[in-house]
Amino acid sequence: MLLCLFFMTTYCVQTTQLSHSFANGEKVLKDINLQVPQGSIYGFLGPNGAGKTTTLKLLLGLLKKQQGNIEILGKSFRENRIEILKQTGSLIESPSLYGQLTAIENLQVMQKIYQCSKECIGEVLQLVGLSATGNKKVQQFSLGMKQRLSIAIALLHQPSLLILDEPTNGLDPNGIIEIRELLKKLNNAFGVTIIISSHLLAEIEKLVTHVGVIHKGQLLFQGTLQQLEQRQQQAYTIIDTSDEVFALRIIRNMDVVVSTEKNKLVLPVTDRKKIAAINQQLVSNGLLVYEITLVKNDLETIFINMVNN
Amino acid sequence: MLLSFIHSFQSEWLKTRCSLASWLVICGAFFTPLIVVIARLVHHDTLANLYAGKGFWNQLWENSWESMAIFLLPVGVVLTTSLVTQLEFKNNTWKQLHTVPLSLTTIFFAKLAVILVMLLQFFILFNMGIYLSALIPYLLVSGVPYPKAPIPYLAWLRENMYYFLDCLPIVALQYLVSLKFKNFLVPVGVGFLIWIAAVAGISWKYGYLLPYTYSMFNYLKGHTGGRAIVPAANIHLMALGYCLVFSIVSYILYVTKKEKG
Repeated sequence: MLLCLFFMTTYCVQTTQLSHSFANGEKVLKDINLQVPQGSIYGFLGPNGAGKTTTLKLLLGLLKKQQGNIEILGKSFRENRIEILKQTGSLIESPSLYGQLTAIENLQVMQKIYQCSKECIGEVLQLVGLSATGNKKVQQFSLGMKQRLSIAIALLHQPSLLILDEPTNGLDPNGIIEIRELLKKLNNAFGVTIIISSHLLAEIEKLVTHVGVIHKGQLLFQGTLQQLEQRQQQAYTIIDTSDEVFALRIIRNMDVVVSTEKNKLVLPVTDRKKIAAINQQLVSNGLLVYEITLVKNDLETIFINMVNN
Repeated sequence: MLLSFIHSFQSEWLKTRCSLASWLVICGAFFTPLIVVIARLVHHDTLANLYAGKGFWNQLWENSWESMAIFLLPVGVVLTTSLVTQLEFKNNTWKQLHTVPLSLTTIFFAKLAVILVMLLQFFILFNMGIYLSALIPYLLVSGVPYPKAPIPYLAWLRENMYYFLDCLPIVALQYLVSLKFKNFLVPVGVGFLIWIAAVAGISWKYGYLLPYTYSMFNYLKGHTGGRAIVPAANIHLMALGYCLVFSIVSYILYVTKKEKG
């Protein structure tokens, strides 16, 4: 049954062995096999320069594909570019807006192309909270307002796939929450598949259903958020003392497993009372304790460890 | 295909609203007529004879086109074409434009069509300006009669068409360069350099091979005794030929560009 379900999964976006090199020969993507399930919110994570934007640009045809295959909405992108783009909304990197025009005029520029109804303009402006901008030119907008307008443009033609490259850049905390809620609503109510890239897992972990982690052009992890959580390791404590060899002996005498790393002691213990007892023991033996740090094992840590390793 | 071209054209036209390019078209069209009006008002005592003359309209046409054909039109076309494509570079919108469901061919020709329509708009406004430059002194200065000679509509229409054709190589080459380079100074610099070469080239026997000389030659064709060597070849056909070649090269470079945003 499970096997059957596995094979039944339909992917809204699927890449096979997608690779890309810059003109100087530097390989920026290596065999990326992206699988974004239909109706999911896919968090595409990676530090700056990992290859996120390059991947998204390839998905949208902004970069010429060199190697591999791209299928979007069940069709090859190469042969069905226009048909796919009709159902895709996007925001890549910084906002793309005509500064000398108003928000409504910017949306009209796109409305003419998509030939969607004029009512859609008011609706998307309402959705992103920019209804009251009137005759204000976009060049007078704050970065947050520009970002909202870019999202409005991406939503204008009611796409079934949204590709958003760091859409919360420049937004204040309230703006980030609003956009997050908006994306959730779009996903739940209309079944819009969303690919959202970010370099911070904490920013999108409350939003996404699936995660792909990319680093140095390689996809390190891909799966559901639950699968990522299953990779959690035990939390641990780091203790820094004046004499790590002596401290090691003391702690081992307390029947606690301990190891050293970069002149510090690492203990797979998180119990506060136990840590207090170890500290007391170290101090009573004349050692100076400089640092006791409890290393959390949240998703962010997993992500950072994955990237750093 | 035609429908998506029309939609793309409408979208491209909307982008030029309040842009520097659209202001340049309007200001450029009325600049020379304004100078003519000022000059006539300054020399208002000679206007009665001038307006009564048989060749009034032809003289007005010549006066209006003198600086336009040699300097303002070529340079204006260089600037306007570069400014239209610069709209996308300046606003970082190429990437947005290239993710809309339009073929690259449609985008390319819709943008080019907007530039050509702006050029047409310029010609209409300039002709209106020429007429107004005759009308305003007549209305403001007492004793000046309305010109008795009929307006040579057909001759003006033909000349307008020739000037329009003569500008096409400039539009096509500037479009090519400005699509290729993000830095606004590159297409403008290239345009100015070729214009300077064209000004220098009009007295050279092969000057007509330079693509920016045609509006100059069209103006100078009726003037004998100058240093310019007006070619016997059909410069308007040559202009059309250059335009075609530049447009094809430009199109190929545009659609084969590796990075589109």
